[in-house]
Amino acid sequence: VTVKSFDRGVFLPHYKEFSENEPITTISLPSEVVIPLQQHIGAPCSAVVKVGDRVKTGQKIGDSEAFVSAAVFASVDGTVVAIEPRPSFTGAKVESVVIEVAPEQEEPKWADRDVTQLSNDQIKQAIKDAGIVGMGGAAFPTHVKLSPPKPIDAIIINACECEPFLTCDHRLSVEMTEELVEGARLIQKLVNADKLYFGVETNKPDAIEALNSKVEGEDSIEVIALDVKYPQGSEKQLIKAVLNREVPPGKLPLDVGVVVHNVGTAVAVYEACRYEKPLYERVLTLTGDGAAKPCNVKVPIGTPIGHVIEQCGGFKDFTGAEGEVFNGKVIMGGPMTGFAQDNLDVPVVKGTSGILIFSEEMLVKNEHMPCVRCARCVDHCPMYLYPNSISVNAERGLYREAVEWGAMDCFECGICVYVCPSNRPIVHLVRETKVKANAAK
Amino acid sequence: LSNDLKLSYTVSPHLRSKNNVQQAMYDVIIALLPISAVAVYFFGINAVFAIAVCLAAAVLTDLGFKKMLGRSHTPFDGSALVTGLLIALTFSVETSWWTLVVATVIGVGVAKELMGGLGWNRFNPALFGRVSGILFASLFFNQLNITFAPLSYTPAPIDTVTQATPLALLKMGAEMPAMSQMFIANQGGALAEVSPLALLIGGVYLFVRGHIKWHIPVSIIATVFLFGLIFEGPQLALYHVLAGGLMIGALYMATDWVTSPVTPKGMVIFGVAIGILIMVFRLFLTPTEGTAFSILILNAFVPMIDRLTKRPVFGEAPARVQTPEASTVVAGKPA
Repeated sequence: VTVKSFDRGVFLPHYKEFSENEPITTISLPSEVVIPLQQHIGAPCSAVVKVGDRVKTGQKIGDSEAFVSAAVFASVDGTVVAIEPRPSFTGAKVESVVIEVAPEQEEPKWADRDVTQLSNDQIKQAIKDAGIVGMGGAAFPTHVKLSPPKPIDAIIINACECEPFLTCDHRLSVEMTEELVEGARLIQKLVNADKLYFGVETNKPDAIEALNSKVEGEDSIEVIALDVKYPQGSEKQLIKAVLNREVPPGKLPLDVGVVVHNVGTAVAVYEACRYEKPLYERVLTLTGDGAAKPCNVKVPIGTPIGHVIEQCGGFKDFTGAEGEVFNGKVIMGGPMTGFAQDNLDVPVVKGTSGILIFSEEMLVKNEHMPCVRCARCVDHCPMYLYPNSISVNAERGLYREAVEWGAMDCFECGICVYVCPSNRPIVHLVRETKVKANAAK
Repeated sequence: LSNDLKLSYTVSPHLRSKNNVQQAMYDVIIALLPISAVAVYFFGINAVFAIAVCLAAAVLTDLGFKKMLGRSHTPFDGSALVTGLLIALTFSVETSWWTLVVATVIGVGVAKELMGGLGWNRFNPALFGRVSGILFASLFFNQLNITFAPLSYTPAPIDTVTQATPLALLKMGAEMPAMSQMFIANQGGALAEVSPLALLIGGVYLFVRGHIKWHIPVSIIATVFLFGLIFEGPQLALYHVLAGGLMIGALYMATDWVTSPVTPKGMVIFGVAIGILIMVFRLFLTPTEGTAFSILILNAFVPMIDRLTKRPVFGEAPARVQTPEASTVVAGKPA
């Protein structure tokens, strides 16, 4: 088997062993769910329910007239008790619908459509109605991505899951192969692409095998084995690896005739088309060396992460007894690009691929030293930038120079910080540069 | 639950490699152990003394200048030890201890700390110190030598007969040691000139550990060899490679992270330019110090080289495979 890859990047420890063999399970409901009205890139939704309303699972509670937006749905049966700003995983407060979970939950009833009979308009409508967004983390509204203004010849389903620790896409690929492949076919049909590729890193041989067994003998579908290298699952690097096309700076995958979708997204598309089921729950990985019972769980959107942690066995070697303190870290997302949390009331959203719990041993130090120009960041940067010069200039307020060395093309994969022997806060300085440069425009 | 949680709240990424500056510096010192051992084998206690003087002077200078410049909070990074050891290795055992001290103080204090500390120095601190030592020697060291004569100290008598460097011998037209002997171990010149093989072993160690790339040493050595070949034939070309400060310069000085380019392309330009300059010095100017001066001169050009060799951003290079023609695809999906 030929294994494809992209240039540069870095080999990270996988840390998948914690949860890669754990089948997807469910947990009991929390007493309250907090559903942010903006969980996506684009315009925020306005609430279409009011305090005191009874809502049912799958009922639309927020919507927007804007094209680039995605509706949000109640993930439980219950009563709206508040519509107010609540802390989100980024640290900012976001207007959210708070639902008190009813003690009795009714099993939601779904349609059962023959997806092969759906027209493109019906497919697109189903996706939009289900409020589907990119579930790999970026949370870009899927119906927008599936309305490309240019011809598309290839769809790539991103099953790389290149961030260490995370295994939910892996589990979906193995356990819901049928739904995944059918969802991908719907996407392929919708944009009229000649080819459909599944890009999977070689550390998931069972996923590659499962996908291959479903698409065997089909010329227009190919499962591509990819090197286990970070950031293989980044759109631009994935397109480079699979098709040897480079998306120019400031351009989108559709500019080179490609649309990339995540595994979770494809499954959601299938469920939206067949069952008319909106995106109100998702599979995520709860893992880390500080997690008592690493697992993959299907969780209603809006569940506080503290509840998920508690239901999944809590913190390892931590009973909460008098005087006992847990020194560690809780991260939403992957270890390279995720957000550290200090508030466990923050809810799971559509883009939450994982909750990581790190023990004290995994913590990183804050102190950093000057850049010694070792060039490791230059060697590994998957965008071919100069993180060394960006950081040195940004540190001294020379943002224009930082932009010249490529700050605006950085997608903050974190490799430069990972390899830096001086532990320099390069990603932070890049973000600072972007803010200053955008303000100067 | 949350009352007993002390959660670390830092920005991404949340993973780190094991790379760190201190470890890299100690790896350079490990790489210099073979050559130091050969030097001690040949020069005995005198070599130990010279190395000890430089290491002590380097550490004290580092602490003193950091205190003076209000930079005491910076952790000890080990770079002073590397500079001290490199300076010791570039001198011969005949050198008076105060010359070594002056060279080290200038190298660590002036060339590094006064320039802003590790990472900000434009010139290789060890070479800057070494060259300053040589320049000052001819200016006022004779006077210093007289003043400090009562304080002069060498642990053991020095056999001066074998001290002429092969490169000087070459220039004088004297009989030269056999090539294989010169490569493996040959007593003569500075501490670091006694064994190209030992230097190479250390260089390979640094390469394997990922601290240096092959581009700079190989382009310097290849350029020197090529020019030697053209101007003086194969025999002398090899001597040019093995003799003098070339090996320590190419493997340990020119590869200094802070004072060399960051991309392979820049490294090759840097290395070739150093090689050419070395041969200009050796063939047309002075038989000694060519390597040191060449590297220092090119150090000044590093920012320029980095700018000129700036690589295109991902997707910027036009030659790379792009989307197939729109005509081959069924068009017509409205936005």
